Formats: sequence, structure tokens, C-alpha cells
Amino acid sequence: MVRPPRRSGFAAVCALAALAFPSVSDAAESAAVQSPRAIVTLVSEADAVAPGATVRLGLRQRLAEHWHTYWKNPGEAGAPTEVRLTLPEGAEAGEIAWPGPQRIAANAAVSYGYEGEIVLPIAVTVPAAARPGEDFAVEAQADWLVCAEECIPESGSFRLVLPVADAVRPAEGEVADAFRAADARMPQPSPWPVEMLAWSDGLRLRLAGEGLSAATHAEVFPDGWGLIDPAQPPRLSRTADDRLDLALSLGPAFDPTQALTGVLALTDGSGASRWFALDARLGAPAAGAAAEAPRSAWTLAAFAFLGGLILNLMPCVFPVLAMKATAVARLGGGPAREVRLSALLYTLGILTAFTALAALLLTLRAGGAAVGWGFQFQSPVFIAAMAWLLMAVGLNLSGVFEVRAPGLAISDRRGHSGSFFTGLLAVVVATPCTAPFMGVAIGAALTLPPAVCLALFLAMGLGLAAPYALLAVVPGLAALLPRPGMWMVRLRQAMAFPMYGSAAWLVWVLARQTGDDGLLAGLAGAVLVGFAAWLLGLAQGGARPRVSGGLAAAAAVALVALLPRLDAEAGPSPRAEAGGGERFTAERLQTLRDAGTPVFVNMTADWCLSCLVNERVALSTDAVQAALKDRGVVYLKGDWTRQDPEITAFLRGFGRDGVPFYALYASGGPPTVLPPVLTETAMLDAIAAVPRSRN
Amino acid sequence: MQLSASLGRRATMVAGVAAALAFSAPAEAAPAIGQPAPEFSVVDTNGTPRKLSDLKGKVVVLEWTNADCPFVAKHYGASNMQALQKQAASEGVVWLSVISSAPGEQGHVDAAEANRLTQARDAAPAGVVLDPDGRLGKTYGAVTTPHMYVIDGQGTLRYMGGIDSIASTRAEDLAKADPLFKTAMQAVVSGQPVAQPATRPYGCSVKYKS
Repeated sequence: MVRPPRRSGFAAVCALAALAFPSVSDAAESAAVQSPRAIVTLVSEADAVAPGATVRLGLRQRLAEHWHTYWKNPGEAGAPTEVRLTLPEGAEAGEIAWPGPQRIAANAAVSYGYEGEIVLPIAVTVPAAARPGEDFAVEAQADWLVCAEECIPESGSFRLVLPVADAVRPAEGEVADAFRAADARMPQPSPWPVEMLAWSDGLRLRLAGEGLSAATHAEVFPDGWGLIDPAQPPRLSRTADDRLDLALSLGPAFDPTQALTGVLALTDGSGASRWFALDARLGAPAAGAAAEAPRSAWTLAAFAFLGGLILNLMPCVFPVLAMKATAVARLGGGPAREVRLSALLYTLGILTAFTALAALLLTLRAGGAAVGWGFQFQSPVFIAAMAWLLMAVGLNLSGVFEVRAPGLAISDRRGHSGSFFTGLLAVVVATPCTAPFMGVAIGAALTLPPAVCLALFLAMGLGLAAPYALLAVVPGLAALLPRPGMWMVRLRQAMAFPMYGSAAWLVWVLARQTGDDGLLAGLAGAVLVGFAAWLLGLAQGGARPRVSGGLAAAAAVALVALLPRLDAEAGPSPRAEAGGGERFTAERLQTLRDAGTPVFVNMTADWCLSCLVNERVALSTDAVQAALKDRGVVYLKGDWTRQDPEITAFLRGFGRDGVPFYALYASGGPPTVLPPVLTETAMLDAIAAVPRSRN
Repeated sequence: MQLSASLGRRATMVAGVAAALAFSAPAEAAPAIGQPAPEFSVVDTNGTPRKLSDLKGKVVVLEWTNADCPFVAKHYGASNMQALQKQAASEGVVWLSVISSAPGEQGHVDAAEANRLTQARDAAPAGVVLDPDGRLGKTYGAVTTPHMYVIDGQGTLRYMGGIDSIASTRAEDLAKADPLFKTAMQAVVSGQPVAQPATRPYGCSVKYKS
């Protein structure tokens, strides 16, 4: 950093002061407040105003050499200029329209501000009741901090009296020039779409299009403190496909779920700068990529309902279907009122669960956590608790114990509270199966106002409950159900096995997440559940109820004590490195795309059964693997079994919040998003569309 | 067991994600909230050695200051800083005022002048530390005066940032501002979590040796 000799600064001030005097008499400029550092006036871009017209006033600062004032975000040190206007009655003023700043490095701090001369314009509306011939008098009180090596707070009062005429008369000369100079710095809408990517060393901004080739230097001025590290200007480079690449370091206040807003300044070889408004979101797709058109809330609700309906048919909802099958069997032959009540309670159970999930999701979203659909399956404590719950439900179905007390009465004889809790459980187990419809709905829901978000969740819940609720509306259907009998007991016992199967699957997921210790804790918990259930059964059978009940309670306490042992290791689960595919990172994807290499991205998770099925039937087959190899497609696999903000950001870039997700990037073009239910044929067709690489 | 084999890869991955999505990592490892505060061993203007690791069990406050900076003058002129220092002293907090102005730069003082300033302003820090070569300041990433840090009894950095929320030199803003630092110090003293642990520091730039 070069330190200016102080004397030259003083000489410049004297020269500046001499220049300043002629302009003071100008109608469009107030008397000046001056110091050896700055000459400040209130200016108007109109010599005369008109009733009802909006004109711009502005604080004009002419600064001595090496001195600067500050932008709205001053950077690491300093404070922005403040202007308070006092206007005639009925007149209105807006905020300062900040011209694009420049980077100013003084000592070890980087500031954003202005050197030389600047006007900070404020739009003012003259009351319609003003009459030509009157005066429009404006007073301003302003505070500005002016700094070079050191900082001096200055302030001043200004008064400007403008005549009211029939029409606005623009100011001319020096004042008009000053406004024009400030306007030249006003941030313009960016003519280039800006893509923001998470990178291993911070962020990357990518711009593509005409008129970027001249840029030799770039600056990013964020609206708020701490979003990016101001210490270094963005490192500018060009990608192989001739896009502008800006590398930024993150600041301590950066939030991956929020947009980065501010001003982007591009400077060409001659030193001329242009300023553009910046509003970039992490993972936002590049121009023309699979951006979903915004849909109305009603369409989304319809999709959500459909998604919920289809959830009934998804393979991973099997345990729920089993539960429902038993419930439906119990209903057969009952009085119509009972059937209706049971269906209603089941629907209520589902809606309660969806409301709770929506509330949780909204709370987490408000807390800034980068969560996505299925996130509950990323928590080992949740997985273990679900495994044990399903184990307990299975034991109950097997007849080891009965649930009589109000509570989690899955197989309650009376059926009503049982229906309600079956509904609750159905949702908890079914949600991670992100059906295509659901993905879109949830993705949209996360960006929508909370009320709409809640409505979408409820619509989805109604969809899930619909087949069963139909029984309530058309009681005749219930008459078609088989009569109760011994087969019901057998069915119930048989249904215990899907429960055990699901519990076993969850323990496997747990082992993936937490390793051997977690596996031990999960299995020990299952044994405890079995022990407690057996004791409970004994107590219910009349054998020393107190002792058995007490022991069962002790087993339950021991179960809870196991939970803290379940600590997820961060990072990908071991499977991510096994099997085909290279580990996904946004950086690797971008590097490959920059090199023009076609890429196939598979986002998966161990707890996502659809993902595993797709991999088995459509991705790992010899034909697909050979086709990928033939076209030179690099296969990147992202494992979302544990939380991974990079993958969450990537999915959100496509408006998705769940897995499975598949995208195929042919060289150069926008990515093709493949359906979440993959077939080998669909994969081969998609790959066949990738141009064969030349080398 | 492939656990140990994959640990290294995982650590790399975690580091990568943390760097990309949590905090930037400037060349000299910047202090981070929730991490051990960088160790220092200095002698204050009264000749008392001040070593962070010897202050275990006590809450430590670091205040970067420069008597000629108008932002600092706002807080001392209205006796806001002195009141905070006295509150800290009464709660057993070790408050160190650090002056990182280099020789020839604004705010540079010798020990005698620093002590005279303390007395003249009725300030009550536990000690004033002179850091003319800027080593302590750069270790902590201090960029402004004032710039505040709170370290808990375990030596963990719990707060870094502004003294309050209104970046101005006007004393009348003191009453309107959210007292970010004061709230953080009180939380750390009473063993509570700090709601806003990293806030925007405001003020003059620290006048480091250029």
C-alpha cells in the first residue's frame, strides 16, 4: 500500500477550494460547508421544480486528494454518509440512491467508498398542491466521515430554495455534470446471468455473454457486512468456454441459504468501470438450465395432493401399507359410523403429522439451517428411534404385548386412537420417499411464504389419506371388505415381518451413518426393546405386574441412555466411495464442465430406497456403464446419507429438496434432468443424446 | 475395518466444506468463534505480564483502541467505554485495551502517555497493552478501533466484532444502539450462549505499520 505524502493533499485542497466558489451562487446548489478535506453542498438536478414532479436532490461531496467518504456498506472501517431532509409540507423524499463505490485500501482495512467527487442523489416529490411562483425550500442535515490515513467526522446544514414553475427546468453546467457523473456509476441490471457456486476456497461467480471480454478487473461490493472477505479483490479468470470467473473468499456472515446481493464492478484495460446490481444465489442454475417456471399455488397444491396419493403406492411405504391393510381388515363389517370415524381419525393423524413436519421445516428454515426433504433421516438419533419403534410395533403385531393404555395404540382394539396414530406413523415412515411430484412441491414450498408452504403440506397429507378417507365418503366400499375372522389375527402376525424388515433396514442405515459403535448401540437398543416388550407382555398377563412393569420401564430408560452414543460422523458414508462413480463436489462438476466433459450426476442416500432401486436396475447395469464409457461421460455420485450443504445447495439450485436426483450435462449445453424413477432404457436414451467425444 | 482408512479422506472433506461454506480462512489462521483464542504473552504498560493461558478461569476482554479515532472518542467521551470497563472489573473480567498504532501513526503512544490517558479519561481497564508492531492485532484480525473480543474462562473465543450496532461517531446514537458487546460479555460472564457471536466491527482502521 502506497502512503501518500501529506503535503500534496493540502495543495490539492487549496486548489479545490478556489474552484468551488463560483458554483455557490448557482440556484441549484446550496452554500458549501467546507474543511481542508471536503467541500460539501446540497444540489438539485432542477433549477426550478413543478407541482407533483419528482426531482432529484443530492449531497455533493468534493474531496481533497487521498480523502474518501463511504458507501452504504463502508467495508471494514468507516461509516456511510447520512442525510436527513426537511421538506415543505406534503413533499416526500426517498432514500439515497447509492452510486457504485470503489475499493479503497487504507492501513490494513479495506473500505468501500468514493474519492474525488460524488453526488448522493435522493428523489424528492413536490406536492401537487404547490403553486407556480412559490418557493420550494429544502433543508438538509448531513453527517459524513471523511478519511485518509485518519478519519474526521464532519457534518453540516444546508438550505436550498428552488422556485416552483409550470414545468421542471433542468439544471445546467457544473451541477448537471456532477449528477451525470454519479449516474454513470449507478448500478445497472446485469445483462449477464450470474451463476454462484460453492468452491473449496470460497465462492465462484460465473458470467457469460457478450461484452465481458474487455474486463480486466472486478470488484464485488456486498450490501451487508461479512458476506465476503474484503481483504482481496475477486480473482478474475476465464473458463474454457469463455465465461468470466470471479473467485471470492467467504466472510463470517455468509449464509448459503440467502442471496448474495450488492454491486458488481467491472473495469476494463483503460480503467473505465461499470457497475451492475448483483443478486446471486448459491447453486442457481446457469442461463437456460432446467429452471422451473413459477407455478401458481393451486397448481402446486394439486401436485402436492397427487404426490401424497402416489406415496401410497411407493415401494418404500410398504410398512405403512401393511399397517393400513390390517386397519382396513379390522373395519370390515363394522357399522358405517365406526368406519367413517376411523377414516376421519386416520386422516387427522396424517394431517397432524404433516402440520408438525411443516412447522419443523419452517422453523429450521427460519433458523437458516440448510435442510432438505428427508433431512430427518440424516439424524442417527431419529433413525435409531424409528428402528426401535418399528421393532416395538412388530412385537406388538406378533402378540408379544398389547397396547391398552391411551398412547401409541397402533393395534388398539377400539380402533379410534389406533387409526389416529397409524396416520401419524404413516407420514413419519413415508416422507423420505421423495416422489417426483413431491420433490417439486417441497422445493417450491421452501421458497414460498409459510402459509402457502403449510397449505402444500396439508394437501400432500390429504393425498396420502385419500384412499382411506374414500371409505368414509362411500361406506358401500367398506361393505366390499372381507368379514373379520381368524384370518385377521394371522394377517396381523404376518404384518409383523415387514416391521422387522424395516427395522433391520434402518439399523443398516444407522451403521452407515455412525459406524460400528452406532451399529452396536442400535442392536443393543433392539434387544432392550424386545426385553421390555416381553416384560410388558408378562405384566399384562397378570404375572407380578409391578415388578415386570418396573423392569420394562428400566429397559426403556436404558434405551434412551443409548441415544447420546449415536453421533454421526461428518462426511460421506463408506458406500459413496464404493461402487461406480466419483465423489460429487460442485468444484469437480464445474471443472469437468469447463473442460467440456459430459457429466452424469447421481444424488443418492442410503435411506432412500428408490435411489437404491434405481442404481440396481438402471445405473449399475453393464449396458449403461458401457454407454457412459463410450461417450466419455464422467459419473459423479453425491451421497446425502449424512448432511452435506454442498449437495443441499446443488439440489436447491434445481428447485429440489430431496433425492433421488439425476442430471446429465452434455458438453456446453444446459443439463437434462432425468426422472426420479429411472429405467435402463431411459438412461440409455439420455446417454445416446450426448455427442460422441472427438478424442 | 475401513473406518481408520477413510478418516483422513473425511477430515479433508470436512475441512473443504467448512472452508467453502462456514468461514473464510485467510492466510494467517483467523480466530474463530468457539475455537481456542490465539495465545498471547505480552507485558502491559504497568509492567505486568499478561499471558492468555495464565488467565484460565477468567473471562478476558480485548479492546482495540486509538485515542485519536473519532469512533473511540465517541465511546470514551460519553463515558460508555469506562462504564463497561468498570462493570467488567466488578465481575472479575480481565479487560485489556490494546493499542496497535505503529510509531508515527495516529494514536501511537508510549507507556507513560497510555497511563496518563487512562487516568485522564477515568478509564478502568485491567491493563493497557502496546502493540506497535501490530503482531497481536494481526493475530486477532483486529481491523477497527474499537474492535471487541470476549474470551471465556476456558480460553475459547466467544465474541468478536462491534461494540454496538450503530456505526457512527455521534454520541446520541449510543442510547439507540443494540449494545452487542455488552450483551455478549454479560452472557459469557453468566455462562450463557452468545446470541450474536460475530458482528460487524466499526470504527477507524487500526493504524498498523504500513
